[in-house]
Amino acid sequence: MKRYLFIISRAPYGSNHAFEQLEAAMVAAAFDGEVHILLRDEGVWCLQIEQNGAAVAQKTLSKVLSALPSFEIEQLHACERSVTSRGVGVSPEISVGLLSLTQQTQLIGESDIVIGGQS
Amino acid sequence: MKYAVAIHGAPYSSQAAEHALDFMDALFASGHTVERVFFFHEGVYHGLNGQVPPQTQHNTDLQPRWADLKNQGVELGICISSGLKRGVVDASEQQRYELPSLTLANDFQLVGLGQLIAAIEASDRYIEFPA
Repeated sequence: MKRYLFIISRAPYGSNHAFEQLEAAMVAAAFDGEVHILLRDEGVWCLQIEQNGAAVAQKTLSKVLSALPSFEIEQLHACERSVTSRGVGVSPEISVGLLSLTQQTQLIGESDIVIGGQS
Repeated sequence: MKYAVAIHGAPYSSQAAEHALDFMDALFASGHTVERVFFFHEGVYHGLNGQVPPQTQHNTDLQPRWADLKNQGVELGICISSGLKRGVVDASEQQRYELPSLTLANDFQLVGLGQLIAAIEASDRYIEFPA
């Protein structure tokens, strides 16, 4: 199996993009792929504490992210610069590693497949 | 080499499909093959029937180009999870959800996200065309 990296760079709730990327990541994990997820740009808002997706009739993305380990996805990363420049308050329920731009370059380079890299 | 191709952009609001079709023409001309084209996110709108292409001096009708691909044996898979909520339904989903009509265009089929992963695993390269 290949090593997958799913990139989420759009804000949650404004479109279905983040949720559909997570769906695809879960399927890749179900196929026994090694799955990494990277949140960057507006995608880091998925980490924000005290979200309530129900207010817009959607699933709460931060809750989905906190449940990723039960879908065999242990590798959740976020762009440190994107998080700090937006002042995102990361939910303590989510296990996420903050990466520098150099580390993100390395992560992309080490992946066999990158999905959703530019959108 | 064998390629898996994904299209994320909707028709006429993105050039994802034109770029993908031109790219695949170049692949075939160089002796490569395509395992499957997978339509994801807003790309699933390519599978809607009843599209009327804009009348311009250029031929912008994508459907004949998709039909050509299908006739070459390339599967055109619409993500069922992205497609259903956007109104792209085949006969069995129409029946299941008791919808007034089926909307899936000829040449396309609804497939699960697993078919994206299976195509990637069976291919040497994966390339996606974002919105």
